Amino acid sequence: MMIDHLDENLRGRTTATLEEIIGNDPEAEKEWNYLCLAVDTVKDAGLNKQVAAARAAWKAELETATTNADYHTAVLRSIPATADATNGSTNTGNTRVRTIYRQSLRAAAMILIITSSAAIYKYVSVSSGSLYDRYYNGYNVNTSRGAGDTDPIVEAYNAKDWTTVRNLAATAKTRTNQTDFLAGMACLEQKQYSDAISHFEQIIAVNTHAGTDYYQDEAEYYLAISWLAHRSVNEAMPILEKIRGDQQHKFHDKVEKMSFFDLRLAQYKENK
Amino acid sequence: MKAEVTYTDVELIAAISDGTDLNRAIQFIYRQHAEATSSFIRHYGGSEQDADDIFQEAVVAFIDVVRKGKFRMESNIRTFLASIGKHMWFNELKKRDRSEHRNRQFEMGRAQNEPDVAELINEIEQKKQLRDLVESLGESCRKILLLFYYENMTMKEIVHHLPYENEQVVRNKKYKCLQQLTGLIKDNPAVARQMQEIIK
Repeated sequence: MMIDHLDENLRGRTTATLEEIIGNDPEAEKEWNYLCLAVDTVKDAGLNKQVAAARAAWKAELETATTNADYHTAVLRSIPATADATNGSTNTGNTRVRTIYRQSLRAAAMILIITSSAAIYKYVSVSSGSLYDRYYNGYNVNTSRGAGDTDPIVEAYNAKDWTTVRNLAATAKTRTNQTDFLAGMACLEQKQYSDAISHFEQIIAVNTHAGTDYYQDEAEYYLAISWLAHRSVNEAMPILEKIRGDQQHKFHDKVEKMSFFDLRLAQYKENK
Repeated sequence: MKAEVTYTDVELIAAISDGTDLNRAIQFIYRQHAEATSSFIRHYGGSEQDADDIFQEAVVAFIDVVRKGKFRMESNIRTFLASIGKHMWFNELKKRDRSEHRNRQFEMGRAQNEPDVAELINEIEQKKQLRDLVESLGESCRKILLLFYYENMTMKEIVHHLPYENEQVVRNKKYKCLQQLTGLIKDNPAVARQMQEIIK
């Protein structure tokens, strides 16, 4: 419990219970101080790692500059100097040219290293899984209750009881788009992506057949998200592009903010 | 061509306190100040590795001092870092039992306008010992604690970074790791006692 209070405190949320515990119990206060010290130690270790990384980058920069300078000094030394009739010597001019040339090459090498590193990092880190983690947010169900009117599946969903949601959906006498949608979301939360896809596709199929649009936008968006989780960007892309092109779609703004560069990069990797 | 970022001392302190681009600030510190401190250490018999290690400690200590609002600008940053580096190297020489002659040379080399960093040097030594305790944790413990308490990641983000099934598993592991580290600190009472005075 004290660790939970510590974590809340660190995230800027103080709790009255914490102050009671620490204020009234010297042993608890001692334990609290040790925990704070442990966290401070972790932070110090983290800072040390960050500075160590900067040190390594600085050393690499120095070595690159030294290597380039050595190479180009050797190259320039092999070029015979020519006498300048006007001022009698080219030494000063050659030194300035060598310095500027060396500095430019050093800068170009650093830019190349940094750009390449960023591109490699981007290529390695972007995947349909990482995009799913980035873009997935849970769905809140609006509950409007009439007198004595409770929907068990909605209650189970709001309680985050995913197993019950799926069971109720599987045994429901009347299967509605809401039932399928909530079941699909429960599958997503339980990382059962194929099942989630089935539920959302069912909603879209029913709407197409009946000419309705109940939970249509939700099904389309979360179907696309499910395909990302299922590592099938090829399946997700047409849906996301459709949503992006439809200003009236409930999830248009959300999809608009997605990085389609990253999505296409993940798609390219998938198709390789 | 994008120019390297430069800071005045005031801007550097603001960048460190703000923390949003700490990497850039640290890189600037290295570009501007590493050579001055390192050359002193090498001049007094230290290897390049010694100089690099000590300057790294000096930077960590400096950032910590700034973040706690204790950097008073009585000296400039270069002087402050150099002072930490010199004192740390002096301590190291004493540990390595070098000749009296070399120590005397060092004493005469101190400038009058250098800040008093004796207490800070003690704190650095103690923090090094505590940091060793973090290193002695298993890699998975170390990673979880650093991601949560230093990188300020949420449990959801940590699940993405580490091979755990869900957030609850990560939460349980983090709890055990923090308890383990606290236990290690308690078992070093001398260090913990001194640190308790410092963090008050």
